[in-house]
Amino acid sequence: MDMLQQLQAQAEQVEVLHVQGESTKVRFESNSLKATQVEETSGLAVRVIKDGRLGFAASSDVTATGKLMTNALESAAYGDAAPFMFPGFQAFPEVACYDPTIAELSIPRLVEIGQEIMAYLREADPEGMVSVELQRRVERFSLRNHAGADVAMMRTPFSLSFGVDRIKGDDVLMVYDMQGATLWEDDFMAPVRRVAEKLQLAQQIVPLSSGRMPVLFSPPGAVALTYPLMLGLSGKNVVKGVSPLARRAGEAVFDHCITVIDDATLPGRFSSAATDDEGVPHRRTVLIENGVLQGFYHDLKTAARAGVASTGNGSRSLFTLPDPAPTNLIVSAGETPLADMLAGIKEGLWIEGVLGLGQGNIISGAFSNPLALAFKIENGEIVGRVKNASIAGNIYELLRHIGATSCETEWVYQGLNQPYILLEDMNIIAKG
Amino acid sequence: MHNQILAALKRSQADYTEIRLEEREFTSVTFRGRELETASSVIDAGGVVRCLCRDGGWGIATFNNRDNLADRVEQATQCARAAKSENPIELEPIPIVEDHITVTLGRDFRGITLAEKKAVVESYNGLLLGYSDKIVDTVSRYHDTFSKITFANSEGSFIEEERPMVVLSCMATARDGDNVQQAHESYSKLAGFEEVQGREALAESAARRAVELLAAESVTGGQYPVILNSNLAGVFIHEAFGHLSEADFIYENPAAREMMVLGRRFGPDFLTVFDDGSIPGLRGTHKYDDEGTPTRRNDLIRNGILVGRLHSRETAAKLGEAPTGNARAVNYRHAPIVRMTNTAIAPGATSFADMLKDIELGIYACDAYGGNTELESFSFSSGYAYMIRHGQLAEMVKDVILAGNLFATLQNIDAVGDDFEWRHPGGGCGKGGQAPLPVGMGAPHIRIQNVVIGGK
Repeated sequence: MDMLQQLQAQAEQVEVLHVQGESTKVRFESNSLKATQVEETSGLAVRVIKDGRLGFAASSDVTATGKLMTNALESAAYGDAAPFMFPGFQAFPEVACYDPTIAELSIPRLVEIGQEIMAYLREADPEGMVSVELQRRVERFSLRNHAGADVAMMRTPFSLSFGVDRIKGDDVLMVYDMQGATLWEDDFMAPVRRVAEKLQLAQQIVPLSSGRMPVLFSPPGAVALTYPLMLGLSGKNVVKGVSPLARRAGEAVFDHCITVIDDATLPGRFSSAATDDEGVPHRRTVLIENGVLQGFYHDLKTAARAGVASTGNGSRSLFTLPDPAPTNLIVSAGETPLADMLAGIKEGLWIEGVLGLGQGNIISGAFSNPLALAFKIENGEIVGRVKNASIAGNIYELLRHIGATSCETEWVYQGLNQPYILLEDMNIIAKG
Repeated sequence: MHNQILAALKRSQADYTEIRLEEREFTSVTFRGRELETASSVIDAGGVVRCLCRDGGWGIATFNNRDNLADRVEQATQCARAAKSENPIELEPIPIVEDHITVTLGRDFRGITLAEKKAVVESYNGLLLGYSDKIVDTVSRYHDTFSKITFANSEGSFIEEERPMVVLSCMATARDGDNVQQAHESYSKLAGFEEVQGREALAESAARRAVELLAAESVTGGQYPVILNSNLAGVFIHEAFGHLSEADFIYENPAAREMMVLGRRFGPDFLTVFDDGSIPGLRGTHKYDDEGTPTRRNDLIRNGILVGRLHSRETAAKLGEAPTGNARAVNYRHAPIVRMTNTAIAPGATSFADMLKDIELGIYACDAYGGNTELESFSFSSGYAYMIRHGQLAEMVKDVILAGNLFATLQNIDAVGDDFEWRHPGGGCGKGGQAPLPVGMGAPHIRIQNVVIGGK
């Protein structure tokens, strides 16, 4: 008798998750291939609802099923009331997230790709130290519950991260990027070329004085703005009463050019899949439309608390209970070409990245960060890199009035797609 | 398992082979607000084989299923052959050790019921919620882990070790209209359940501070003299300086080596910084690191001068220095990399009162929300802070984020306190995808001139 049946005899609701993964990774450090790695993972996680109470247990030893079931039932004996039901069988969308090209990538081929990336970056900056990491992974996910859900999925996440460190005296420059997808992209060099361009622009260091000025956030730089927003849109932070957006659905909370969509059904993106980690079908969820708050992203539990349906954003690792998390998050493109945005800036700042993302009281929308990589703009052109400057503000004030968003967008941090965002008047603190 | 490990090592074709197996069980109890989020136990077991081939590089295999260790060694050896490194890898010799380290816990948490663990967390959570009607959300968390780790390498070392840990953390969120503030306290020891009992003061302090922060104004950005409390000074030295002294950052980078050349002046004469993985009772303490090197005290800055750095066997061999016992892995999913253990600013001679009295306008910054460095640049946010006016502590301020350049900032330290403390925070350090690694931090109060404070 399998675990699902055995536990069904002892609890009203049961869910069994089985994950298996196999990956290979190659790592280049300091301009040289350093290590290759193979990884095999497997594990079981069980949720039960017994006498209305939720219990959970997990094990990476798939043979320890007896202990796993005992732990789950003990956990339920002390658990809180579960406000939700595991979903039954549901039709789910076809989502492309498995690619044999990725599954079959060999270690020698990964090494070759890494060498191509490294060679390109070394040529772009002969004084820099290049690091590259590539990982291909095949994931098998199967979830069954007492209500009849029976999901089996395979995904092939491929991730690529690379960067260049350049040290001249006491000046340290770090430029890097991280990309990921589940379908193979032939032009894997596109983000590498972008990093090489940034290295060129960063050659010259120019002074900057403190003051108010227009600031152009590039897609990676704009994460400083969208990260607090991601927390504010979390159904969990809403039901806990800590999101500043709670109870404001239907209100114009931002400039009309801001539209934010969560969509795990996009083909081939890093978080794309047919269902979430609770067996709820994935879908496209409009969170903010033309500045007006439409709703939040939820898992089963927060949705039940909020009295709405799960948006299919239940996300978990083997050893943790699900929590709502964005999947592929899209901040919609605007109408202005980047070149026009840049041309309109007489004196301002282009922000590529900040330090300390997420630190401080960001649930309130407040952020305050030193700039990791930023360029000075004069008369519509980048004139060089600035150092020792910092920005601060609150997104719930700043995003009410946006200068423009670009028609170009980029994928950043694997799961986020967004345009360049121009804020016309920000306070910049510069030292030296 | 002992014999299987030895047999697998013996059959290895690689120049160097190590096997690390880990079995752990951990229990977590988490309350969020009035709701119990988790009360559960999990089982985690797995291993890692790491091989070095002189005509290749490092090959690594990680796994959950620990049968067929010899096959895992073969897999890792093939990986090592595929990793054609341009820079040859050597390992600095270390003593061969056979050791079996067991621990005796005051109250062994493995024998304590989930009900009792839940009751303890529930009582702290009740204190948070009951402190004020302004407290709208809490996270109260208990976590224990008991790991059994077996390490063996092809040179003949064989170490078995038990590693216990308990963690308690309390976070309070206070809200007044649109004003939302959070405060956090945590405590952790490599010890038994008794360490998380009787910690009511920790919960109360998180609740009190969250409510106090509601009334605090945002700090005005600018440059100030700043006094850091022991907690924040510890995080500062860890983040801003400690990571630069990890030799894997410099060992293959001539420009970085030049920047971190031994003998360079980094700070004033009264500044001494060290890392020591051998001090009993601290979070980053182990008898051996994850390559089997004994841990020890390593001075990094002595009287303002850079005198040392942290090594693995590989970085030590490359730089012709001695291994320091700093190769650590967060778990069996990873090979060891150079990490800190317990890092500290040694005590100085200035009292806190003397540091305060000649500051006309400054900031007293306490605790850390988080920190981040990109080598020479750092940023971290204080949990709470006060203005200093006319030599005295004045009103509380919020959103205090310190930023700066490491070299300039260390030179700007103009007082080191006489009130040294080791801290036992519950968080951990992250590097190279390995987090949270338990580390210890220690410092007295320190004063720094001309610190950039972010602000609107």
